[in-house]
Amino acid sequence: MYILGIDTATKVCSVALAHDAEIIAEYTADAGTTHSQRLLPELDNLLNRAEVAKKDIDLVAVSMGPGSFTGLRIGLATAEAFAYARHTYLHGVDTLAALAYNCRFENILLSPVIDAQKGNYYQALYKWRGNKFVCVEPTMVVNVEQLFGRVGDNECLLMGECGKINNFPGNIKKAPENLLMPKAKSICALALRDFNSETDKRIFGLEPYYIRKSEAEELWEQRNR
Amino acid sequence: MKDALILGIESSCDETAAAVVKNGREVLSNIISSQIPVHQKFGGVVPEIASRKHIENIMPVIDEALAKANVKLEDIDAVAVTYGPGLVGALLVGVSAAKSLAWATDKPLIAVNHLEGHIFANFLADGDLKPPFMALVVSGGHTALVQVNGYNEFLLLGQSRDDAAGEAFDKIARVMGLPYPGGPEIEKLALTGNPHAIEFPTAKLDNPYEFSFSGLKSAVLNYLHNEQQAGRQVNFADVAASFQFAVVDALCQRAIYAMKRTGLRQIVLAGGVSANKTLQQTLAASMDNIGCSLVHPTPILCTDNAVMIACRGYFMYQAGITSSLSLNAQPSLRLCM
Repeated sequence: MYILGIDTATKVCSVALAHDAEIIAEYTADAGTTHSQRLLPELDNLLNRAEVAKKDIDLVAVSMGPGSFTGLRIGLATAEAFAYARHTYLHGVDTLAALAYNCRFENILLSPVIDAQKGNYYQALYKWRGNKFVCVEPTMVVNVEQLFGRVGDNECLLMGECGKINNFPGNIKKAPENLLMPKAKSICALALRDFNSETDKRIFGLEPYYIRKSEAEELWEQRNR
Repeated sequence: MKDALILGIESSCDETAAAVVKNGREVLSNIISSQIPVHQKFGGVVPEIASRKHIENIMPVIDEALAKANVKLEDIDAVAVTYGPGLVGALLVGVSAAKSLAWATDKPLIAVNHLEGHIFANFLADGDLKPPFMALVVSGGHTALVQVNGYNEFLLLGQSRDDAAGEAFDKIARVMGLPYPGGPEIEKLALTGNPHAIEFPTAKLDNPYEFSFSGLKSAVLNYLHNEQQAGRQVNFADVAASFQFAVVDALCQRAIYAMKRTGLRQIVLAGGVSANKTLQQTLAASMDNIGCSLVHPTPILCTDNAVMIACRGYFMYQAGITSSLSLNAQPSLRLCM
């Protein structure tokens, strides 16, 4: 099964092509240009480089968030339209899970984080237990103090958008630089792991994992409580 | 010549729309998913909520447009999409989907200016319409006079220096406590009012092609404020009718001048406010007086839709004007680029 992976949840644009568990090509850029301009040309380059035709793609895997609302929608609209046009399956992958999946270290807590603005972060906790990759704490919106609190005294690696987080307790470290960024190969791998030929036929009306309501809705609810 | 089928996609504001149009003139389908009820409680369009509705609806709407037209995606000759002006997050949903569809099927991608799309809605209203003609664009974001010299040749004669006409309608409706969208509400209320009850001043400008509505808007708001301060009962119907009269009069005066000056014989209305019946009737009468004729879109094509985008796309496709895969949304795209 050929899998096309897309991750535009953060300012990093990453695309990958896999054949089952084998990664054929990946392109990842943190170069500041907009996803809307770069995503399609990069997908096109990826397939050209791998000499795989669009018609051979079986599954499109896309990073569903949490992340930048606009970035998520660019990725999802692109993925849905491709799946629709080429009659492929579509599988959404949790962005935080994919970030942690990059870091294959056993017996250590993995804490992927994504900037949720105003000093807050989306955080979940994962672990590798042998070959099994498991979520140990679900996604929450937390401030830095709460973020450290959820880790407790466990040995822990931080990855994702943790550039602005400083003054770590001794048990928490940043992941190596090459493992900090979202990688679409992890999107492909998790999509393969969780692929379901029934539910992944559904390509309409998928919703990114926003986690948060829009600011206007939050304000409206406060006023009309 | 071979028939050309264009798939049009529109998501610039609060409608998710897709349509299939044959040869630029024949509407095979016109699907519009309106978000008006979603935004009503906020009193206006909330950009983030609009984007969320677009991503939910974009593929079902496209699918329905193809199904209704009874054509397969493979039969489409080109994908045309609105890339501006509009809300950036909203535009990006349509642009991303359109680019991906075009890429996945190796079809040309056509980037359409939403305002040009509104002008082209008139080709669907009048099968004989041909350039050159004048276009009076009146919407929530724009008020402008455009000379359409050819299918891909536009000359901007003048536009609003400040507020767009539609913006003034919406603002005044909101202050009078009318629900969003305010334009049609003012029009409804104006039916029972006296357009000459209150004389609101309109701007006198040096450039006879230009418009200005902020002064008029302030005058109406001041009037409402002063009457309320003085404890007098305000006749809202009279205010709506008098305000609408002032806007329509300003639009017609400029249009008459433009027609006389350019010698063109035909004018078209374009944009959301072109649905206003009083504007249609008054402008038609003004044009009749000077031996010119007016074309305006059917009501469904006055508001945002994808038929007009497919129609505009067809004429660009015929001229070989296509876009690359690096197309981006341009929220502040102007007329006559």
